Amino acid sequence: MKKWSKQLTSPSAESYQEVTGKIISFLSITIIATLVITIIVFLTYQGIALFTQDHVKLIDFLTGQIWKPGQNLFGALPMIVTSLLVTLLAGIIALPLALVVAIAMSLILPQQVYKICQPIVELLVGIPSVVYGYVGLTVVIPFLQKMFGGTGFGILAAIVVLFLMVLPTMTSMTIDSLNAVPKSYRMASAGLGATRWQTISRIILPSAKGGILTAMIFGMARAFGEALAVQMVIGNTTVIPHGLTEPASTLTSVLTTGIGNTVMGTPANNALWSLALILLVLSLAFNLLIHLVNRKGAHHS
Amino acid sequence: MTNISNPAISVEALGVAYGDHSVIENISMKFPQNQITALIGASGSGKSTLLRSLNRMNDGLATVTGKINFHDVDINQPKVNIYRVRQQIGMVFQQPTPFPLSIFDNVVYGLRLAGVKDRKLLAERAETSLKQAALWDEVKDSLKKSALALSGGQQQRLCIARTLAVEPEIILMDEPTSALDPISTTQIEDTLVHLKKRFTIIMVTHNMQQASRSADWTAFLHQGELIEYNQTADIFMNPQKKQTADYLSGKFG
Repeated sequence: MKKWSKQLTSPSAESYQEVTGKIISFLSITIIATLVITIIVFLTYQGIALFTQDHVKLIDFLTGQIWKPGQNLFGALPMIVTSLLVTLLAGIIALPLALVVAIAMSLILPQQVYKICQPIVELLVGIPSVVYGYVGLTVVIPFLQKMFGGTGFGILAAIVVLFLMVLPTMTSMTIDSLNAVPKSYRMASAGLGATRWQTISRIILPSAKGGILTAMIFGMARAFGEALAVQMVIGNTTVIPHGLTEPASTLTSVLTTGIGNTVMGTPANNALWSLALILLVLSLAFNLLIHLVNRKGAHHS
Repeated sequence: MTNISNPAISVEALGVAYGDHSVIENISMKFPQNQITALIGASGSGKSTLLRSLNRMNDGLATVTGKINFHDVDINQPKVNIYRVRQQIGMVFQQPTPFPLSIFDNVVYGLRLAGVKDRKLLAERAETSLKQAALWDEVKDSLKKSALALSGGQQQRLCIARTLAVEPEIILMDEPTSALDPISTTQIEDTLVHLKKRFTIIMVTHNMQQASRSADWTAFLHQGELIEYNQTADIFMNPQKKQTADYLSGKFG
């Protein structure tokens, strides 16, 4: 009896493994959570300094149209508008294309084509943004110069570059969500006399709706946060844009241009932190949107 | 071996091959109208392949040779409109495959595909087909709920109702109860007996009892050949071929 009692109640290699695993996961989660909380706290602290120490009114910051840190004018509206505009337009142009390419690759073209194209799309997702910026400088901008005159630098160039950048991301995620629709739906639908297009439009697309929306928002979140490629082609003038070919600045491009040229603690530097805080808040909003869309999708099935 | 006059559908010298691999060779048989015909045989005997050929579900997967006669038309010709064929020859699969839509939208899916928009007609057909599939009483108050919330047996009866709603002449069933519990199986078998008054049913089954209980005619396939085809009672009581007798007595399978 005593032997059995010891055998069945004393720890073993397996139980130690469980405990070690728990400790490692707990530590990892703690590190990540601390990191995120630190970033949020730090950004908020620095970001509100402009309003608490330098006495700039929040409403002036959000609605002011003139950004001249040298003259203590901190109107962030041009950057907010440009950032949202560029993101939205790039996303709207990319979505239908991504959807068509994804439908063709995962549902229509032969399996061999899919096997070749899928890694290419994945590869495009991983290309560093500076490369897209370089393509913008050497291909897109000369083209826009010829088409519309002027320098070519501006919102349109930024939209084109961001469109190229988010297209593979959106395509790849849309393909994943289409592939997640059970194959049995296709057979069942065909068995009832459906054409391939009827099956795609009535069954597959509605089933993958949540995933496709997530792909779109995710792509736009990526475009929204992109700094380098945008900064390379947008022209960097902090004015409210009145046309697509005009130069402008986004939140991210002002940040990358300005952060090295200001002294920590000065109003000009604090204002940049405030921009970063807005960027963070809007990015969080994108993330929340993805969660909401997914939860709604999960409810349905 | 069989004298069936005026069959619902018949095949002549049917062969099916996946690439170079031949699954069915030279099968000729007639399926009687308003009867249940069971196709039995071991795994890999080609019974499912034969069934799928009948409404061209093998298109793009396999090469089908020979003739499939339906209303004196060879529906195995390339110029045949496969969408119309499948409206006349419906199919119910092994796994219940309800679409992620409401119960009502599932039942009228095929009708909507065919362009029916009249709400009254859709509602009538939905009710009739759900009654025929013996599901109406269980779902009549929840037609707008998701079909995915139904139990496995209910889902399969929904899939049967979905096929019936298109009013096909022939219903093909590929092991329709193998994924279900015994009670659901009994319910579906009872349903089939009622359905044969209006439809011709051809069914693949692994379940000998199911074939003997439900089917009027039974065909035994082995390694891509039709070994024996007769009235179910004759096949089970008095098999003519040794392979049939061996299979039925469980010597292989």
